[in-house]
Amino acid sequence: MSPVIPLGPFHPALEEPYKVEVTTTGETITDAEITVGFNFRGIEWLAERKTYTQDIALLERVCGICSNVHTLMFCRAVEKIADLEVPARAKFIRVIVAEAERLHSHLLWAGVACNLIGFETLFMTCFSLREQVMDVLEGISGNRVNYAMNRPGGVNRDITDPASILDAVRTIADVTAKQLIPVMTTDRTVRARCSGVGILTREDAIAYGAVGPMARASGLATDIRKSAPYLVYDQLTFDVPVRSEGDVFARIVVRALEILESCKIIEQAIDMMPAGPIAGGLFLAVPAGEAAIRIEAPRGEVVYYMESNGTDMPARVRVRTPTFANMPTVRVMAIGQGLSDLGLIQASIDPCYSCNDR
Amino acid sequence: MDVDVLLSELNPGGTYELRRDGYWAVWPDLDVRAMATLMRAREVRLSTMTGTPGADGRLRLVYHWDVGAKMLNMETSVTAGHIPTISDVLPAADWVEREIRDYYGIEFDGRAATPPLMLREGDIPGLFSRTRDLGTQIDPAETARTNVASEGGETR
Repeated sequence: MSPVIPLGPFHPALEEPYKVEVTTTGETITDAEITVGFNFRGIEWLAERKTYTQDIALLERVCGICSNVHTLMFCRAVEKIADLEVPARAKFIRVIVAEAERLHSHLLWAGVACNLIGFETLFMTCFSLREQVMDVLEGISGNRVNYAMNRPGGVNRDITDPASILDAVRTIADVTAKQLIPVMTTDRTVRARCSGVGILTREDAIAYGAVGPMARASGLATDIRKSAPYLVYDQLTFDVPVRSEGDVFARIVVRALEILESCKIIEQAIDMMPAGPIAGGLFLAVPAGEAAIRIEAPRGEVVYYMESNGTDMPARVRVRTPTFANMPTVRVMAIGQGLSDLGLIQASIDPCYSCNDR
Repeated sequence: MDVDVLLSELNPGGTYELRRDGYWAVWPDLDVRAMATLMRAREVRLSTMTGTPGADGRLRLVYHWDVGAKMLNMETSVTAGHIPTISDVLPAADWVEREIRDYYGIEFDGRAATPPLMLREGDIPGLFSRTRDLGTQIDPAETARTNVASEGGETR
């Protein structure tokens, strides 16, 4: 009889709870069953019981890392239904904050990945860079976690010191290009630990609906910023890194290269950002209607569906986060792998159970 | 992806409209399994599914597909609380179907099992639909546990 090993819901290296029960033959995983929902907060349920203004604060708490994404999505859904115009400067500010958040997310993940691999010095490099991104976000918004930047029809705060943002972004790009990427892609330990591990084939990536860097590391050139440009992404020049290997190493490379692309985007956005207002007038009411929208968050596509019945509270707010799409792929990636690889495979999707469970 | 070709293959003569947020095909008699089979064959990714109560009391179910520049939203209605599963065709639907059952209590026919995803084992499915008219003071966690048998003399 094959032993079933329960892992979790509490893990020594991860603050968030989830459970994996793996069936093994010897050291090899033959099946894996994932249990989530330990962080369920009923945010979609609550959103139907709060006003639009209250919901902005509520949805910012879906995630502690990509919090800006959720207020951006909520406000864009309101803007779609109410046909609100967003000033050009506000669109650029939204892009700058969104890309700074992507830098924050990818650098955090890279640091955690280095820690898991046992590469303490690179972990420190990643976190020192991340700290600079946090300073940028704090400089723009006054906050380090929930930035409170978005409102229907614009943003709440202007960017008043673009030079300091450029300094930080250029440092991050330089260190990433000269230290982070060369070490992570050529170090024998990293390659030995990550190459050929946790493979997600292109076919499985489509069938399971994988998104973001997960999909791009499996050969799918999918990025909502390119395929369905929003805000001002169609005016900016950037590449979408894609790898075909589908393993943990490919995910590391894709995310590392995306750090450089985000730096490029921020530099261009600051250079192109026009003068002008950052928001329209206060919106009075959201008319009855519905909207389904999506954007490219750090971990991949986020989908929101909003339904309004003309009252001051939305009738339905549906939130589909990237981890919700990516997490089920852990099963197919784990089967056939050694038990000791499971932690790395799970970490390689950059999971956020707070997002997943909402 | 040519949405016109895709939808005509699924339902010749079926109508759809292009709204500001993408394509919408509202087909009450949508054959969801045929849709899923076609989408899988065409390598169209299922972004997610949304359940939302309709005006007639039935649940509206929207399948959101990534067809490129626009999202394709295919809407149908759930009759008598049942609809066929597509999770055997597209594993991407597995967790979403379990979550929709948690929230609205509908059954996806053809699944070997539909364990709760966000709720706990033994919680009553349909959290959102049961509490829809209960206002702002209700606690969803407590509501989920209502009427659940005690374990070892203690309420779960």
